[in-house]
Amino acid sequence: MELQKFQYDNKTVKWFAYATMFWGIVGMLAGLLAALQLCIPALNMDLPYTTFGRVRPIHTNAVIFAFVGNGIFMGVYYSLQRLLKARMFSDFLSKVHFFGWQFIIVLAAISLALGKTTGKEYAELEWPIDILITIVWVVFGWNMFGTIIRRRERHLYVAIWFYIATFVTIAMLHIVNSIEIPVSFWKSYSWYAGVQDALVQWWYGHNAVAFFLTTPYLGLMYYFLPKAANRPVYSYRLSIIHFWSLIFIYIWAGPHHLLYTSVPDWAQSLGVVFSIMLIAPSWGGMINGLLTLRGAWDKVREDVVLKFLVVAVTAYGMATFEGPMLSLKNVSAIAHYTDWIVAHVHVGALGWNGFMTFGILYWLIPRLFRVELFSKKLANMHFWIGTLGIVLYAVPMYWSGIMQSLMWKEFTPEGQLKWQFMDTVTKMIPFYATRAIGGSLYLIGAVMMVYNLIKTIKKGSFLANENAEAPALENTVISHGKEHWHRWIERKPVQMMIVSLVVVAIGGIIEFVPTFLVKSNIPTIASVKPYTPLELHGRDIYVREGCYTCHSQMIRPFRSETARYGEYSKAGEFVYDHPFQWGSKRTGPDLARVGGKYPDSWHYNHMLDPTSMSPGSIMPPYPWLFDDQIDVSLTVAKIRAMKRLGVPYPDGYENKAAKDMEQQAKIIAGNLEKDGIRILADREVIALIGYLQRMGTDIKNESKRDTLNK
Amino acid sequence: MIKETQRIMLCYHCGENCENETIHIAEKHFCCQGCKTVYEILNKVELCDYYMMESQPGLSQKTQVRPDKFVFLDDDTLQLKLIHYKDKVQSHVSFYLPQMHCSSCIWLLEHLGKLDKHIIRSQVNFLKKEVSIVFNHQYTSLRKVTELLTAIGYEPHFSLNNLADKPKKNYDKTRIYKIGVTGFCFGNIMLLSFPEYFSLGNMEEKDLQQLFSYLILFLSLPVFFYSASEFFVSAWKSIKQKILNIDAPIAIAILITFGRSLYEILSQTGAGYLDSMSGIVFFMLIGRFFQNKTYNTMAFDRDYTSYFPLGVTLLSENGMEEQIPVSNLKTGQRIKVHSSEIIPADCILFLGKGMIDYSFVSGEAIPVEKHIGEIIYAGGKQTGGALELEVVKDVSQSYLTQLWNNDAFTKAKDTGKSYIHSISKYFTLVLFSIAIASALYWYVHDASRIWNSVTSVLIVACPCALLLSATFTNGNMLRILQKYGFYARNAAVIEQISEADTIVFDKTGTITQQEESAITFTGVQLHYETIQLIRSLVGQSNHPLSKAILQSLPFCKLIPVKNYEELVGLGIRGRVLDHEILMGSSDFINEKIVSTDKGSNVYVKIDNKLLGYYSIQTTYRPGLSELLKELQEKYDISLLSGDNNSEQLKLKKWFRSDLLFNQSPQDKLNYIKKLQAYGKKVIMMGDGLNDAGALKQSDVGIAVTDNINNFSPACDVIMNGNSFSYFNPLLRYCKQNKLIINMSFVISIAYNLIGLYFAVQGQLKPVIAAILMPVSSISIVLFTTGMSSLCSLSLKKAGLKVINKHPKDDTNHTAN
Amino acid sequence: MSVIFILILASLMIAIGFLIAFIWSVKTNQYEDDYTPSVRILFENDVKQDKDDKTKQ
Repeated sequence: MELQKFQYDNKTVKWFAYATMFWGIVGMLAGLLAALQLCIPALNMDLPYTTFGRVRPIHTNAVIFAFVGNGIFMGVYYSLQRLLKARMFSDFLSKVHFFGWQFIIVLAAISLALGKTTGKEYAELEWPIDILITIVWVVFGWNMFGTIIRRRERHLYVAIWFYIATFVTIAMLHIVNSIEIPVSFWKSYSWYAGVQDALVQWWYGHNAVAFFLTTPYLGLMYYFLPKAANRPVYSYRLSIIHFWSLIFIYIWAGPHHLLYTSVPDWAQSLGVVFSIMLIAPSWGGMINGLLTLRGAWDKVREDVVLKFLVVAVTAYGMATFEGPMLSLKNVSAIAHYTDWIVAHVHVGALGWNGFMTFGILYWLIPRLFRVELFSKKLANMHFWIGTLGIVLYAVPMYWSGIMQSLMWKEFTPEGQLKWQFMDTVTKMIPFYATRAIGGSLYLIGAVMMVYNLIKTIKKGSFLANENAEAPALENTVISHGKEHWHRWIERKPVQMMIVSLVVVAIGGIIEFVPTFLVKSNIPTIASVKPYTPLELHGRDIYVREGCYTCHSQMIRPFRSETARYGEYSKAGEFVYDHPFQWGSKRTGPDLARVGGKYPDSWHYNHMLDPTSMSPGSIMPPYPWLFDDQIDVSLTVAKIRAMKRLGVPYPDGYENKAAKDMEQQAKIIAGNLEKDGIRILADREVIALIGYLQRMGTDIKNESKRDTLNK
Repeated sequence: MIKETQRIMLCYHCGENCENETIHIAEKHFCCQGCKTVYEILNKVELCDYYMMESQPGLSQKTQVRPDKFVFLDDDTLQLKLIHYKDKVQSHVSFYLPQMHCSSCIWLLEHLGKLDKHIIRSQVNFLKKEVSIVFNHQYTSLRKVTELLTAIGYEPHFSLNNLADKPKKNYDKTRIYKIGVTGFCFGNIMLLSFPEYFSLGNMEEKDLQQLFSYLILFLSLPVFFYSASEFFVSAWKSIKQKILNIDAPIAIAILITFGRSLYEILSQTGAGYLDSMSGIVFFMLIGRFFQNKTYNTMAFDRDYTSYFPLGVTLLSENGMEEQIPVSNLKTGQRIKVHSSEIIPADCILFLGKGMIDYSFVSGEAIPVEKHIGEIIYAGGKQTGGALELEVVKDVSQSYLTQLWNNDAFTKAKDTGKSYIHSISKYFTLVLFSIAIASALYWYVHDASRIWNSVTSVLIVACPCALLLSATFTNGNMLRILQKYGFYARNAAVIEQISEADTIVFDKTGTITQQEESAITFTGVQLHYETIQLIRSLVGQSNHPLSKAILQSLPFCKLIPVKNYEELVGLGIRGRVLDHEILMGSSDFINEKIVSTDKGSNVYVKIDNKLLGYYSIQTTYRPGLSELLKELQEKYDISLLSGDNNSEQLKLKKWFRSDLLFNQSPQDKLNYIKKLQAYGKKVIMMGDGLNDAGALKQSDVGIAVTDNINNFSPACDVIMNGNSFSYFNPLLRYCKQNKLIINMSFVISIAYNLIGLYFAVQGQLKPVIAAILMPVSSISIVLFTTGMSSLCSLSLKKAGLKVINKHPKDDTNHTAN
Repeated sequence: MSVIFILILASLMIAIGFLIAFIWSVKTNQYEDDYTPSVRILFENDVKQDKDDKTKQ
């Protein structure tokens, strides 16, 4: 029997590498723009597509799913083949995966710019794209498991287990969180409402971080770090324990993103305890990574790749320590809604994911093109400028975050809030500026890398199909005759595995959703009524413009907040919110009880030119709301959808809706006219005003009965 | 790290010095033809990356293997034993390769397919120094594969032991399953229990609460029925033997906990204690795993079979040579033993001159000369030329091997129940009395709370903490000791050591360095001419002593010797340059000398003038005298030597008590028995086959070896020779084990009391149990491991070096 | 909070899936040797690449 000859597919790896570099730059540019908009509001350019509310989701989606996503696939496609001594299962699937993913990214960018969003952070993409994602993801899994089954190396290296975990969990998270009821091709409502939606969203949100930004990168670390250092991982046994202990309980985190919200206490505490427990496995990985380099620090001094990897792992350690700290209730009380959180995630994103990706690229490209790196000097410069960038980014954000939070909470001896919200905003500007500088340094570094790598590629010669040979896995296995399971799996076609997984997941959910959700959406506060059609439209505009990126809708039960915004939020108030819009950051003030606070005309002028009403505001103007008409064509569909979700509109209301809407619009237009403002009642701004004026009013004159937590 | 800085040429293959620079390919130099050949083989198939990964990764090939050595592997019965899977085309076999030592080895051995395309795949298990090979037996054979391995410098280690069909040592799967399953269930049960605790038992969402408790119940089933089973089993066993071991109270606790929780959940009267239960089981399993972790790289129960060769050359009547497995050897058969091979059975020398090195068997330093007609006992190694022998006893019946028929071997050694078991007896009694007491109390005051309080008492008082303190202390100590080259068979051994009061040493190989004898001349000052005379004379003789002396003398031209004669057992004489020279025993040169130590002394008499004598002494391990001095203080120390008493005087200084020579293996065994009869707890330190009996009989048998991969007889501890002089600190460290365990007992008792405080009142909230359980367990784990690591600092202070087994950390590849 | 039913069941489903995977991997001796694999991944692919396969980028 001969050694089997086969070829590694380097082409797909190359493609993903290119995509990583390209989208990396794009995503960072978007980030930089968003950052600048906070200190130079003019950069919002008075265009719908370029306002912060839409740029920010583009940034987050681009860096997470485009930059990091392609980075993951690049690393997986390279290492998987070599670890398994087998070519990827199918070149066709590889192609579909690559182009499918890029297509999704383009669609995402466009749709987000156009304001097509579900309004759920990190899951903003609308349902058609969600379905595409599911399909492409399954293709990825299919390709991966196919390769695993055709492998020529019996042992599955720990990295592969991390890849598997990534695939399986992300599939489930994505499906569960994206269950939504379509209204039109580009509009849908989340199936869950209010508190429920919040729970699902942050269960997803946290695990997206865990399984998209962490586990796959741990896998990559376990492959590329030893390779780059050319020494085995410090303790392979530890890495195995690391994986299994992580995987058995990781999935539980999430609710700690909702501390002091209307989520039940025990759920919050569960989240806290859980996040604390996560320190152990996270640090297990970090320590294992760093100790791999014990006695090889001289190498690190010379090898730029190792430099990047070391900083990445360190950043990972810092972030995974800070995270649990932030999830402590009293820390969260300060940090939540501030730039501290922004700093925290960027230490992870820029340090861990960014630097790890750079390191891998610097290692990989010269190998793919069988040539030395064009300029080590440039790479070193990249490393230092990047590190400096991270520091300049994080430090001011930590500082400003804590400062702003303290200002929010500060009272005068007379018991009055010391600062107007606007004061705290203007104080931020210099910090935002510094942050932007840090960001641009990081971006410059990335550009230098791209240049460096392009030069490298130019002088190298690419090897599309790399010859390799390995003995086949002998089908009969001597290992103590306990092979039934294994054999069984191998006989099953891989399709079955993935399909069954998806089917079970979907099936399970479909089964549970109607029973529980609809039932539990029955209002528990008598005075809380469904939104009127106009308000509903207004709310959809609120979502479309991404107001939630700067404004929260959740007043926490602190004196400082109730004094500033009014009565703290109750779970029962959100039962008709599909999706919930609690938000996670207060660049602007909370809006949960903005209803009735100002006259309609105030809102009108404020939307037209925020500074006119609140001088020093960094909020962009929304001129188009005054020209565009409310899309009444969807009114019926929207009401229907809401009814299907259990919102108690009277029977056949969808037909009366249009009329009700007209009336309410006329009233608002009337109010404006009193203040000498003339505008047609069918403009979007009217609907938005309607929604804003409704917010939090339902229970304003309600006696506070035991309405907590339900 | 290629050593170009040094002047001397280093072998490109093995890194040893090249005496002559004649052997080389291009500018690659080799120390010997062997190394060169290996290089050529690898070079032909472009496997020279072998030399890229690590520099000079090979091992010296100076000693060549004789070509027909592995012919016996063609024997079918033998193959059946060695090949553990076979079908139409494939054969699966795994070899033990002691030479494996670096990542280059792994690489090369996994590329065997390039050397022989009929080798389908080869996979290395580095820590076991094992390579498992699948080959196509239609084109190649077991013998061919073996010869290939030998050719590239990895001669597989075969021994009679390979034929014993005992199951291959495999790592403990069931325990890993259990830990995995329990860990999974524990983790999730805990998370599902939190809501209950945070809302302190009154959650608004009743439906959720129910779902949780049922999920918990569901998750706890595997823990109870699968993972915890071993505790029930061992408890039951002990009860049947009318003793209460530690598992008994644990089993009770688990049982009660599960029962009560089951009741509470089904009757919806409470949340139950299932999280505590699964937690306890989890921690205890981890502890046991930690403690029973065995080194798959080491063999503790080797018998002579793993020392004896697998094949032997049989001489048929018509003088034909034939390779047969030793197992087929019968009395009366004629065999041929080549140089540096082991005598497989007791034989009569038939042809050739025997120079049998018994250093490993009996401990004699110098090879013994055997002449035709003499009996040669099995186990010795022929150092001279090839011999023809006639077998007089089968392998298993020979002088040496019959030792294994002694009952010390037949009956399994009592590994000593850990003394926590004895403690647990009292623990259980106390526990029950408390339970009864509280029962009585409540019977008087509030009968409704009896059941509640009694169960709670039994639940919280679970002695898992006691178990943990033992398992984790031992486990960690084993780990640390192993780091310092002191490989204990299991945790019980540590406790045994801490109880020992007597140490018995074997001499050669144990307190002396193996194969190193120093030759000193006592007498008048010898000048060059005289030395030349002596050298010329001994140059004539083949006697081991003569050879030894010859080597010790500086090089000088040999002068022809006239009328040379050699008198067996006496000495040699001859005329050199009209000088009459006699060399030999005192009787031979008929001088009445009152010599301090008789035996291996060679007197020199030239022209009837006695110049003095050469004496052959063995060199002792460094630091021996200090070590013994220290040990004298705490232990009775005695020495058993298979050797003659030539060294008696020197040894007298060190050993005050018994000092016995010419001890047969059986004698040694009996000596230990005698000591034990006096109620002594004996540590036996030996190295050779002849110590096997004693090692087995003693309470703790410690085999000293200079390379843990070498053969070492059955024992409880394998100790690296380098650590020998630190034996005392190691003993002291072992003694600390009991102390640590007792201290942690105190802690665990404290926790139990807290628990009992709530329990006896009949109000043990699940949350309290759920807090107590992990807190106590974790603090015990931290304390014990912490303390045992802390104590190990004394070892570092004593100057012990950590022994590292991983290739990347190997600095010199020529080692071992 | 009935949505928690879904989250828990989904999470548990996955977790159990991985438990099975764990049992499989132990059964098939994935972890019999927990050292050599970490060295094995360091070996570079040493097969000679034939020239014509080059495609200038």
